[in-house]
Amino acid sequence: MEAALAALEGTALAEMLRVSRWGYAAVNGAHILGIALLIGAIVPLNLRFLGLWPDVPRDSLVRVLVPVAATGLAIAVTAGFILFSVRAREYSGIGVLQAKLAFVTVGLLSALALHRAHGFLLESASDRVLVRHAAVSLICWIGAATCGRLIAFVGD
Amino acid sequence: MSRLLIGSLAVLGIAFGLVLQPGPTRAHHGWSWTTGGNIDLVGIIKAARLGNPHGILEVDVEGEVWTVEVGQPWRNERAGLKDGDLKEGVEIRAVGEPAADPSEKRLKAERLYLGEREFILYPGRD
Repeated sequence: MEAALAALEGTALAEMLRVSRWGYAAVNGAHILGIALLIGAIVPLNLRFLGLWPDVPRDSLVRVLVPVAATGLAIAVTAGFILFSVRAREYSGIGVLQAKLAFVTVGLLSALALHRAHGFLLESASDRVLVRHAAVSLICWIGAATCGRLIAFVGD
Repeated sequence: MSRLLIGSLAVLGIAFGLVLQPGPTRAHHGWSWTTGGNIDLVGIIKAARLGNPHGILEVDVEGEVWTVEVGQPWRNERAGLKDGDLKEGVEIRAVGEPAADPSEKRLKAERLYLGEREFILYPGRD
């Protein structure tokens, strides 16, 4: 594990980002953009599943917000992995980061399971299934964002 | 419903368990954790870990090891520091704000001195 983390820190990209002001800022910014898209799409979608705005057609909302959330997640995970590589050994020991990765893993697996069972646009999902999923999804993504933000503030 | 909820509550529990476990020595954002007043440290650099997002020096100050937070590469470079200036064995004087908790022995440097040379990391601060 230690060797894999050290190898990650030794990649050309990680070495470049450790010294580059704007390169690091760009990846950092991409990570935030990804999170903004993910949270901005997944929270209203889940609130709709939980019963808010019953007069807004579910299918229309799903068609817009699922691809936006998926794109945001892909950007956030890619940029996040690159940021992690800059200080992989140090970051891997941080409790809030481990907690964040637990939230991301559960959130991602539960989303994959849902879409696998009911289609990318959730055509075959019952409202009951979506209520259940929405609770898990909200906990996971808000938990992930909260723990992620805490990385900068929780000391030893 | 119940299985998924129990599962997510378990993850929540594990997550908060992880949050509460002690982590390694790390750098801080901002100045809210410092005292607001400057102190002066002179010592020998024992270890230097520079680069984004934070630069860290471990400095032996009369037998006590202090963690001195310096700038990111662009800030150190702007102050005039060159690669190799901050390395093991170098004597350094650091002026800046210590952590409000004195047992932390952690200083966020505003200015550094190597011999007679002055390097101002935060020009806007006293």
